[in-house]
Amino acid sequence: MIVIAILVLPLLAAGLCAIPTIGRRVAAQITMATFIILFALSIRVALRVIALGTYVAAPGWIEVDAFGALILLLVTAVGVMACLYSLGYMARTTHDKSLLFHYYANLNLFIFSMLAVPVVVVPSITWLAVEFTTLLSVLLVGFENSREALEAAWKYAILTLMGAAIALFGFLVLFWAMRQAGSDDYTWAGLVSVSSHMSPVLMRMAFLSILVGFGAKVGFVPLHTWLPDAHSQAPTPVCALLSGVETTAVLYVILRLMPIAHNSLGASAERWALVFGLLSVGVAAFLLLQVHDYKRLFAYSTVEHMGIIMTAVGLGGAAAHYGAMYQILSHALTKSLCFFAAGSVLMITGTRNIASVKGLMRASPLAGSALLLGGLAIAGAPPFAVFLGEFSILRAGINQGHYFAIGLLAVFLSVAFFGILLHVNRMVLGRTDPTVELTPRIPWTCSLTLFVAAVPVIIFGLYVPNTLHQLLIRAAAIIGG
Amino acid sequence: MGIKIAYNLAQVVVVMLFAPLVAGVINRLKEMVQSKRGPSIFQPYFDIWKLFHKDEVISEESSWIFRFTPYLVFVTPIFVTLLIPVLTSYPLFFAFMGDMLGGGFVLALGGFFATLAAVDTGNPYGPMGASRTRLVGFLAEPVFMIVFFTVSFVAGSTIPYIVQQKWVHPIANFFEPTHILVMLAFFMLILAEGGRIPVDNPSGHFELVMIDESKGLEYSGPGAALMKWGGQMKLFVLICIFLNVLVTPWGLASGVGVGELLLAVPLVLLKIFIFVLALVTVESSLAKLRLFRISEFLGAAFVISVAAMITWLFAV
Amino acid sequence: MPHVAQPESIVVQLNALAGGLFLLSAFGMVATRQVQGCMRFFILQSVFLASSAVLLGLELRSWHLIAVGVINLVNKAILIPWLFKKTVSEEVYTKREISQVLNIPISLLVALGLTVGAYYLASPMLKVGAGLPALANLPIGLATLLLGAYTLTVRREAVPQLLGILSMENGAFFASLAIAPELHLFIELVIAFDLLVAVFVIAVLTRAIQRRIGTTEVGSLAALKEESVR
Repeated sequence: MIVIAILVLPLLAAGLCAIPTIGRRVAAQITMATFIILFALSIRVALRVIALGTYVAAPGWIEVDAFGALILLLVTAVGVMACLYSLGYMARTTHDKSLLFHYYANLNLFIFSMLAVPVVVVPSITWLAVEFTTLLSVLLVGFENSREALEAAWKYAILTLMGAAIALFGFLVLFWAMRQAGSDDYTWAGLVSVSSHMSPVLMRMAFLSILVGFGAKVGFVPLHTWLPDAHSQAPTPVCALLSGVETTAVLYVILRLMPIAHNSLGASAERWALVFGLLSVGVAAFLLLQVHDYKRLFAYSTVEHMGIIMTAVGLGGAAAHYGAMYQILSHALTKSLCFFAAGSVLMITGTRNIASVKGLMRASPLAGSALLLGGLAIAGAPPFAVFLGEFSILRAGINQGHYFAIGLLAVFLSVAFFGILLHVNRMVLGRTDPTVELTPRIPWTCSLTLFVAAVPVIIFGLYVPNTLHQLLIRAAAIIGG
Repeated sequence: MGIKIAYNLAQVVVVMLFAPLVAGVINRLKEMVQSKRGPSIFQPYFDIWKLFHKDEVISEESSWIFRFTPYLVFVTPIFVTLLIPVLTSYPLFFAFMGDMLGGGFVLALGGFFATLAAVDTGNPYGPMGASRTRLVGFLAEPVFMIVFFTVSFVAGSTIPYIVQQKWVHPIANFFEPTHILVMLAFFMLILAEGGRIPVDNPSGHFELVMIDESKGLEYSGPGAALMKWGGQMKLFVLICIFLNVLVTPWGLASGVGVGELLLAVPLVLLKIFIFVLALVTVESSLAKLRLFRISEFLGAAFVISVAAMITWLFAV
Repeated sequence: MPHVAQPESIVVQLNALAGGLFLLSAFGMVATRQVQGCMRFFILQSVFLASSAVLLGLELRSWHLIAVGVINLVNKAILIPWLFKKTVSEEVYTKREISQVLNIPISLLVALGLTVGAYYLASPMLKVGAGLPALANLPIGLATLLLGAYTLTVRREAVPQLLGILSMENGAFFASLAIAPELHLFIELVIAFDLLVAVFVIAVLTRAIQRRIGTTEVGSLAALKEESVR
């Protein structure tokens, strides 16, 4: 029942918010309340999953396991923060405030689509949910209605829908492969159980189609070109959702496929994952060095982190899988903090250009320290959560003897570390430019969001609660097959 | 043996007799589509008759090629007629002399000399038309090749009499995608080779935009008559190849009786009439393409022919 | 498979013909110069998709496939064009030439190359599926998928790009007739609904772009690069 409620609630809220006469304040409050309830429900689901293994809402259609519960938790957690941030940020930055009810209605729909991805167990419906994450977020990306925002929304829509069409073909071939193997159970678990009987020829086609198709949406190089545009032009709370959890939710589907592909194709599935992962990390790390826009900086960092997770999956083995899960968790939380900080900087300075932002620490200690914290954390400095994740991946790789891949990964991570901190330091430290007009006050909900978002980033670097640890271990076991 | 020679010659007679009629019918129908009365369908006969009774003027600057070409243009379709099924669905006496490729080459020879003759006189429009014909020609050539190779690949032979049987035995073959695509590509080729809209306008009178017509501008009297007649026969032969080899052998005489042969004549003419209706529809509903867009038209034909080949090669 | 069809069966042959014409309309979408022409080829393509589904439904005695055909026909040949007409009619129904990156003869040659590539990609799968009645649909569907992606890449106009995506999905479905004819009807229905939502969302976006920028030539939108930051 809880899972059904999780799916129905945002739809109801969207319907309420879409009533034009309801007003933007009420719409915002409805959305806020919905997201908090969703988060609470997700925690309940996660606890149930830890206790029982799988939470079955509608057998054969809607079931949640540990991996799904992890994604649910992340989506709702980042959703709550994004909504809280929206309250102040959207009221400050939107010109025509009467249109804000659209924003909240759409935000609810977007959350709905992302919540549908991890709870549905029929692969084709999962595909559909992923397609809806695009369709229901396109108008959010273009919400600012500027030339750039519309361009970003267009590229986002077209490239990801193209990817989705390729992935659709992959899912159809997957279905064929399942029928060929003599099974009738078209669910993720059913696929895993017959995967060793599947024809490798069909599986390879299905796997590569889905990897390439959804890879375009996750942001794997070379199909990442839309990502920095969309993730930088969208309103900041939406950026946090896109970068923090939408990419993760799509990656979830690819990771679900890994055990199936592994059983059918053997090590070559991992090799493909490794190639895509390392390529993304490498290219993104070097692109990070030359950005001029700090929101794009964090967008490229998303490409890098998706690559890291994929590399971890490509390394294989329980330890690397655990690292991947931990990285998913820490990336989602840290990246949303980064975008919230970046949005605050945008509100204070009015520019996205790294070079025109100086001495942020003096201008606004809160935004400055949040940006510094976020930058350090996302770059992978100890003692933050991302560091722990990256470290466990590197250690797992060395233990398995993947020296070459780990060497490359370490080099790319250092380059990315250097690149992010180079830009962040320039912005945070130094003297303020007296000619630039600043508005140092940011809305209190935004400040609150910065505090809330910083807490897990710091805590999870030092200590992982046991229940969460259990959840991560089980999720890692699921992608291990 | 004797009857086969006779039938073969009968085919030639049919082609010679009815080619101007087809041209006349096309013209009349086109005029009717444009809500005009149009000339009589026998007008091409009168034109040819009239031209044969006129004196001929030949430029002093021209060489033997100019004088020789009308005969060649007139004779090549007749040669091809000997090779292909016009009235019968079984090979006739001279059919052994060449296959479809041979027929194509013979037709191309006539076109080649017509082009040379156009350059031969000092007339500035001649070379212009000649170069344009070559442009169309070299774009059409690959399509021709692919169509013929596909067809011969499907039938396992380049002999037209074997190919035509392939499409109807069994009847399901008629709906084979390869067949439909080949038909489409070849239809587009006829439009290009026959100088029809949208590639060329056969009834245009403005020399600057002419492609095919301008090659015959310098001819007068009997020479012009032969060129005209030859051109009409070439179209007739192309239509025959299309209808009898590529579409179906329906309506052709399959036995050796004289009655069957005589019956085949109206049936084939009926097929040609249906084709002419389609041709007129296409010609009336399209506009002539700009010269440099012809490559797109023939590019499309090329794609269709290759698609035909692919669907055959990879058919399962 | 409940029933393996005879290769000579006229229904199977007609299905192959629908496949050939389906592929040809994908080529048409690459070759045509006008937005409206693109749209017409898309409708044609959808009709061939639907007819292939119905033919196979007859061959396999499967009501399910016939239903799929009807869903596709109603959705893509009627609802989607109607939705286009409602939302961005001035873009589709005015006769205007599309600007594109490559000229049309070269586009056609690339498209041919893609088709050959699709057959090459599909050939190992064809061996696995030997005996399925509509196996010809698989490479044709794959080719159309690639052609749609190509259309999307070279066209610089909003509506043809969207039609490219729809054509890709058509390709995937066309292949699915061969390989996944028993896919749950519910899934087919929801995907049909999803396409409508996609068209609607993109049409709204197109209108927003047109109002803001004055054109739907999305290929000319190139403000977002690393160099240009304000």
